[in-house]
Amino acid sequence: MAVIDESGQAYDHPLYTTLINVPGLSVAVASIDQLLTWGAKNALYIFPMATSCCGIEFMATAAARVDIDRIGSIVRATPRQADVMVIAGTITVKMAPKVKRLWDQMPEPKWAIAMGSCAISGDFYRDLYPTVPGIDTILPVDVYVPGCPPDPQALMHGMLRLQEKIAAKQAGTWRAPELRPETEKMHGPAVRRIDDPERDPAITAEQSRQAGLQSPDAPEGELDWRGAEPVPVQAALELEALLRERFGIEDFPADSAPIVPRDRHLELANTLKAMGYSLLIYVVASHWPKPEGDTFEVAYALRSPNAGAKLAQWRVVLQPGETIESLASVFAAADWQEREQYDLLGVHFANHPDLRRIMLPENWQGHPLRRDYAADTACRPWR
Amino acid sequence: MNARHPGPTSDRYRLEQMDADADLMVLNFGPQHPSTHGVFRIKLILDGEVVVRAIPYAGYLHRGVEKLLERLTFAQGVPIVDKNDYVAPMTNEQALVMAFEKLLKIEVPRRARWMRTIFAELQRIASHMLWLGTFALDMGGALGGGSGVFIYTFRERDYILDLFEMVTGGRFHYNTHTIGGNRHDIPPGWDREVTKVLDLIESRLPEYEAMSSNNAIFVARTKGVGVIDKELALGLGLTGPILRASGVDFDLRRDAPYHAYDELKVNVATATAGDCQARAQVRVAELRDSIRLVRQGLAGLPEGGINGGKPIKMPQQFKTMTGQAYVGIDTPRGELGTFVVAGGGDKGTAPYRCKIRAPSLHALSALPWILPGHTVSDVVVILGSLDPIMGEVDR
Repeated sequence: MAVIDESGQAYDHPLYTTLINVPGLSVAVASIDQLLTWGAKNALYIFPMATSCCGIEFMATAAARVDIDRIGSIVRATPRQADVMVIAGTITVKMAPKVKRLWDQMPEPKWAIAMGSCAISGDFYRDLYPTVPGIDTILPVDVYVPGCPPDPQALMHGMLRLQEKIAAKQAGTWRAPELRPETEKMHGPAVRRIDDPERDPAITAEQSRQAGLQSPDAPEGELDWRGAEPVPVQAALELEALLRERFGIEDFPADSAPIVPRDRHLELANTLKAMGYSLLIYVVASHWPKPEGDTFEVAYALRSPNAGAKLAQWRVVLQPGETIESLASVFAAADWQEREQYDLLGVHFANHPDLRRIMLPENWQGHPLRRDYAADTACRPWR
Repeated sequence: MNARHPGPTSDRYRLEQMDADADLMVLNFGPQHPSTHGVFRIKLILDGEVVVRAIPYAGYLHRGVEKLLERLTFAQGVPIVDKNDYVAPMTNEQALVMAFEKLLKIEVPRRARWMRTIFAELQRIASHMLWLGTFALDMGGALGGGSGVFIYTFRERDYILDLFEMVTGGRFHYNTHTIGGNRHDIPPGWDREVTKVLDLIESRLPEYEAMSSNNAIFVARTKGVGVIDKELALGLGLTGPILRASGVDFDLRRDAPYHAYDELKVNVATATAGDCQARAQVRVAELRDSIRLVRQGLAGLPEGGINGGKPIKMPQQFKTMTGQAYVGIDTPRGELGTFVVAGGGDKGTAPYRCKIRAPSLHALSALPWILPGHTVSDVVVILGSLDPIMGEVDR
């Protein structure tokens, strides 16, 4: 707002509202509120809650081409020195308690920007067991920047919109836009926004404790594995001769790897390693439910890091209740690979040194990659 | 398992074996620390400033991608895997569609294979540029010397993303590969733009090379830090630049050629030291070779169709019988593979089980082996030198 003194001199600055005329001197007066707001909106320090792809675009926004420093925003990677939390990326149920805590650690006044479809609604992960369907179910969001991921320019636009919003709120001219009602297409879990007056307040306190806010660290050395039982295994291609002669395998299907008996699986891995197959490429279990129980097929592949990069693949079939011998004593890489299959499918690897969950929280129920596990399983209060 | 690296589960690192008077401290590093390159947590047991034990925790970005792929048809999976390794989405798409093509026995036209080569190598430049910038940021701090390098490398990376945007319309989630070929053909005049960008980046490469081998601060922070010897690198299943920096001369592009690599000669950069500096030097050397490969690819780009399959009208049109397929390709981070199981029958339109083999997962599993003995400030450098992308670690 511009103010004009007696001599016709105009003072144009958004802060000036009143002009006091003293002889020979003009003093423009602003309210403290206005001053603080003006300062706040032009020095928005950003706490980047960057979890995935949008975090890279957030970094590009801070880099030379778009340069978010131009509007006085710098990145402070600590919640205690930040004004705006930019949630850039998918928030999972394992991460959500941490995001909530970081948000609580930020001093008022504070604002939040949801950057990208995942932070806004969960995007195509919305229906899946580990994903929070929108960050506004956890904390109040001021500006939504849509895109997958949004361009750096879009985030810049979002920052400018936030500045406008801060100024308008102070001036009392802010009117919240009407929220579009959720359409039937917006399926997924019915978790209400945090600023929804109908949201049940009890959901945050008690249920968050039950949902495992803090996943306890795994106990040191106390592992629950079943006794070592042999497992079927299988190898491939020009290894056919080895398998035929030393392991007595006759069946070599054209479209998949041969099946190796469960009790000779470890021996095969050792033999192949001695033959130069020194890279463990994958350990993949798949679940085949049968009327008599859960059957698993565990596929392995080793690669020889030489010309030709030969791949040795085999499979082991586990009947209900059977376990498979861990390869962790042969390949250090098997440690995490087998933990992942244990976590997601519940296959037990005998004699594994450290068999515990790796992807999901320690207190998670069930194994999501089993065929009978509902993909959209809820996890209150986060999804 | 190895005299030099006693291993995370060896008795040497059992907490109850440690001296009770040593006054050990537990430091939680992450999951929101900016130097963890995403959301990743390491529990560090410290004796003073020296790490005596490191316990990594992954999974903070586990989004259930493999479950999602089981629920979608084959053709619908491509844009999903873009978001796995979000620094190199081109190679993600390629690893997925190549496995599906192998399973469905679909031939890819020669022009599409050459285009994929060009895309993969451009993506390698962009990915390594981002890595170099963030690695310098890890060492120099956001307000220190590191941010200078960060600004420069992001400038180069943006040029490459502009090139991809011209072809696909997307800055970095492209959805440009389909089963049997590519979706978008190269627009007229694109090769001139590429040449301009490559000339510009190549003229600046000596600066990056000089930094990784001569800059006193860079060398002091990286030389001899985080050594992974050959035996450990192989045992952990490390691939790509990390394996090559540990003295193993192995590259899938040369040793098991796919795309057009059987017609283009790949020079594989290796180093023997296995430390952070060696990993940096291998990556910077790959930049130069990638520029050369893109130039050759553009010069020899054949004419012809870009999609061997029928045009996709219904995603359900791809049906398989039973079978399994695995394809691994060399991405900027190592061997990225897709293992797909087809269930057959009425489930034939979607993968029965689809597993992404993430090179970053293997890279991070090295941490408990190499962190002990280093100071906390080196933890950041070592983690950065492994170039992990949490999107593909956790999926």
